[in-house]
Amino acid sequence: MEKFIFRIHRYDGTTKWVQEYQFPYEENKTVLWALTKIKDEIDPTLNFTSACRHAICGSCGVRINGTSYLGCKTPLDEIIETFDSKMLTFEPLKNYDVIRDLVIDWKPKMKKLKLVKPWLIPTEEGSVEKGFKQTEQEFSKIASPTDCILCGVCTSECGQLNVNDGVYLDPFILNKAYRFALDSRDGSSNEHIQPVLDNELWKCIHCMQCVTNCPKGIPLTDQIAYLRKTTMKMGAKDNQGARHAYAFYDDVKKVGRLNEMMLPIKTDGMVKTIGKRVPMAARMVYKGKINPLHMPKKVNGIEGIRKIYKYAQEVSK
Amino acid sequence: MLAYDVVVVGAGGAGMMAALSASEDESLKVACISKIFPTRSHTGAAQGGINAAMGYRDSTDSPEKHFKDTVKGSDFLADQDAVEFFTTKMPEVISELDYYGVPFSRDGNGNIAQRPFGGASSPRTCYSADKTGHVILHSIYEQCLKKEVDFFDEWFLLSLVVEDSSFTGLVVMNIKTGEIVPIKAKSVVIATGGFGRIYWNRTTNALNMTGDGTAACFNIGIPLKDPEFVQFHPTGLASTGVLLSEACRGEGGYLLNKDGERFMARYAPEKMELGPRDLVSRSIETEIKEGRGFGEGMDSYVLMDLRHLGKKKIMERLPQVRELAMEFEGVDMLEEPVPIRPSCHYMMGGIHVINPETLSTQIEGIHAAGECACVSLHGANRLGGNSVADVVLFGKYAGIGARETAHRRSYGSETKLNQEAQVWNKKFETIRNKKTGKNIVDIRNKMAQTMWDNVGIFRKEEEMATALKEINQLIKDYKDTYIGDPAVRYNMAFVNYVEIGNLLDLAKGVVMAALNRKESRGSHSRGDYQTRDDANFLAHTLVHKRENDDYELEYIQVKITKYQPEERKY
Ligand SMILES: Cc1cc2nc3c(=O)[nH]c(=O)nc-3n(C[C@H](O)[C@H](O)[C@H](O)COP(=O)(O)OP(=O)(O)OC[C@H]3O[C@@H](n4cnc5c(N)ncnc54)[C@H](O)[C@@H]3O)c2cc1C
Ligand code: FES
Repeated sequence: MEKFIFRIHRYDGTTKWVQEYQFPYEENKTVLWALTKIKDEIDPTLNFTSACRHAICGSCGVRINGTSYLGCKTPLDEIIETFDSKMLTFEPLKNYDVIRDLVIDWKPKMKKLKLVKPWLIPTEEGSVEKGFKQTEQEFSKIASPTDCILCGVCTSECGQLNVNDGVYLDPFILNKAYRFALDSRDGSSNEHIQPVLDNELWKCIHCMQCVTNCPKGIPLTDQIAYLRKTTMKMGAKDNQGARHAYAFYDDVKKVGRLNEMMLPIKTDGMVKTIGKRVPMAARMVYKGKINPLHMPKKVNGIEGIRKIYKYAQEVSK
Repeated sequence: MLAYDVVVVGAGGAGMMAALSASEDESLKVACISKIFPTRSHTGAAQGGINAAMGYRDSTDSPEKHFKDTVKGSDFLADQDAVEFFTTKMPEVISELDYYGVPFSRDGNGNIAQRPFGGASSPRTCYSADKTGHVILHSIYEQCLKKEVDFFDEWFLLSLVVEDSSFTGLVVMNIKTGEIVPIKAKSVVIATGGFGRIYWNRTTNALNMTGDGTAACFNIGIPLKDPEFVQFHPTGLASTGVLLSEACRGEGGYLLNKDGERFMARYAPEKMELGPRDLVSRSIETEIKEGRGFGEGMDSYVLMDLRHLGKKKIMERLPQVRELAMEFEGVDMLEEPVPIRPSCHYMMGGIHVINPETLSTQIEGIHAAGECACVSLHGANRLGGNSVADVVLFGKYAGIGARETAHRRSYGSETKLNQEAQVWNKKFETIRNKKTGKNIVDIRNKMAQTMWDNVGIFRKEEEMATALKEINQLIKDYKDTYIGDPAVRYNMAFVNYVEIGNLLDLAKGVVMAALNRKESRGSHSRGDYQTRDDANFLAHTLVHKRENDDYELEYIQVKITKYQPEERKY
């Protein structure tokens, strides 16, 4: 008989262990079905969270073989195909405190969420009595970001949160800031965006894992790009991230490619570069990885590149 | 001891609206307790929308028309003073939600978009695509964060405490730590949602819709009103009960039995699959009972076949429904028919509320709003889109009511509160350490089975009598159950154990009230009494829990102000 073998990471507040469960394979079942079956029929001490069973409450995020999924909407057959095995390892979502087994703590995240003022700061055009007018186009801008169900999959997958000390904001928090910044009924987008900038907005490493795994298909990295652009428009051009972006922008516009020798200087300034990057650069020169004397020339087709710049500028107007 | 002027139990639409309006008064300390993280609450599952006579889409619409539709929909069992209050105030609440940032879909004039809904004489259902409840829930939560409401997430109400007939507070468990603590309060708003889980998997409700607040009130003497009125949706997915949209029937899907027959021909030869919800639900269950369904027992089902519509039409009109069936039933409707069965959707009955404007109950200090309560707005049958409206509006007024009550009252004695916490501590310890006994999951499944088979979509004397006997037996068995988890921290097995106890108490109320209502009205449809009987049953049922856990039934008058009962025809 075919069977599932689940290896579940358990935790009781003090001890951690991995427990194995085996039960008969059934087709067309979800991840949540399997966890519920284990709790009901094999081991009542196993804990996880779930509620709606149809991908709207955001309770059932879990990691399987290192990737995060929403348990109730993920077919086991798909997981088996992805990993080519019926032996699966379950862990709680990453980048959260674990309470017990697969149950994580949301409380600290809500403290962090509050930084971006995650509520509408109404313009004077609206009132409690009458509400607002909003066009269909204006509504469509906030349609996708308000799909977020706070399931935490993005946080669990975030490459920056994995290494960061905890200041960097979780993708769903950036989404919230974006959602209000874009709402035509909100009169203070800066109040949502400034805290984002103050909390390492530029540290997103574009690993795209949040977007790839978001069960609601929210384009989180597009939003991060938007937030960055907006902070630059707000005048926040003199920070590492913005300078880095401008360096890219200027170089490519000028010669059609990056000047990697100058990039760190433009981004971090001369002093910091000497302190932080020169030792590494010296090693790279020594190993023949870079040539300090190479100054990039204009690439062929630079005219085309400039046209693209012009076009992009027009479009973004 | 923790002390709050107002404690709200529940963080769904009703609970958080109550917490918000209570905390408008900054002199009061307000807490909001929820057994799950607030945005996980089931209000988020509402897709279709929220009713209010804004008149944006149809300028002839009015609160008066909404009033009339609701009364007719209720099969004349709704209290008309409550309905009128509700329909008059609803437009204001929608504007308020807009001001709170709810992303409503819009019409060409920049107003909130409205769509037609069943039983409504005008298109008055405001919506946000197909995620109306979700966005309302999240927006209200955001407002609560702004107001700095004190949230106690993953805290579980165990019981309410009344000393010398006066409400003094509640006993709760902090699930994360396993601690059981008393909380002193001047007033409380119960907003714990419905109890569709008496049918366990045959419901569109979330896993935690177990009626804890309703049971807590029932246990301290607040009666259960009209519990026999249970709304069933004909097309729940077979394996999980998750809702498959009505659009499938609307677009021309066929319902097939195991002989491949379009069985609706037997029950509604003209309308076929497009018959009304209750009729279609009854027809499906008849097929299954008479052996023409697939599968067995609780796993029986019939098929919804859409293949004849063709790929183009399905992809154009039902792309999301197709996705849902693939994700939650593992079936691609382009290739195969979808297994479906009716599913319990909504509880019209609940905590007996005596004043629709303050949502107070007969015990001073205790208010109730949302699906856990019975105002009664929905009477014998709720209209689609009227429940999310109910929760935000009555949630708001319950908050105001509780605020005023808190000002009138002072903190009571701690004696009984401490005792009650002790009782629960003892119980927790005993149950945790119990090694043998009746299996709790079996008890739960047996309850669901008997409720479904005997007190489901259509009802008969003998069957319900059987159910009552079985539920009584299960209540006995429950006393000797064990849960199999000795842990203190995050012991969901214990939480589930308490929930199942609550479900059993409420299920018994449903059966008794249904047995005794010898007529068919709204959702309560009896094979042995097929017509409405206004002479004897134009009345609300009240179920009381007396000494020794005996239940007693009483009937009280329906408040009729404007619309005299007439035949309900559409
Ligand atoms: C699939 C589906 C679709 C629906 N669609 C619509 C629709 O389109 N339009 C409409 O009007 N209605 C709809 N309804 C009905 C409507 O969504 C619900 O009736 C309504 O949202 C209930 O809200 P509530 O605030 O009363 O309870 P809920 O939102 O269920 O919240 C209950 C709260 O109580 C808390 N709680 C419960 N027990 C305890 C305890 N012991 N201790 C602490 N906290 C506790 C929970 O944690 C939760 O926060 C739908 C229902 C379903 C199931
Ligand atoms: S259980 Fe609600 S999202 Fe999975």
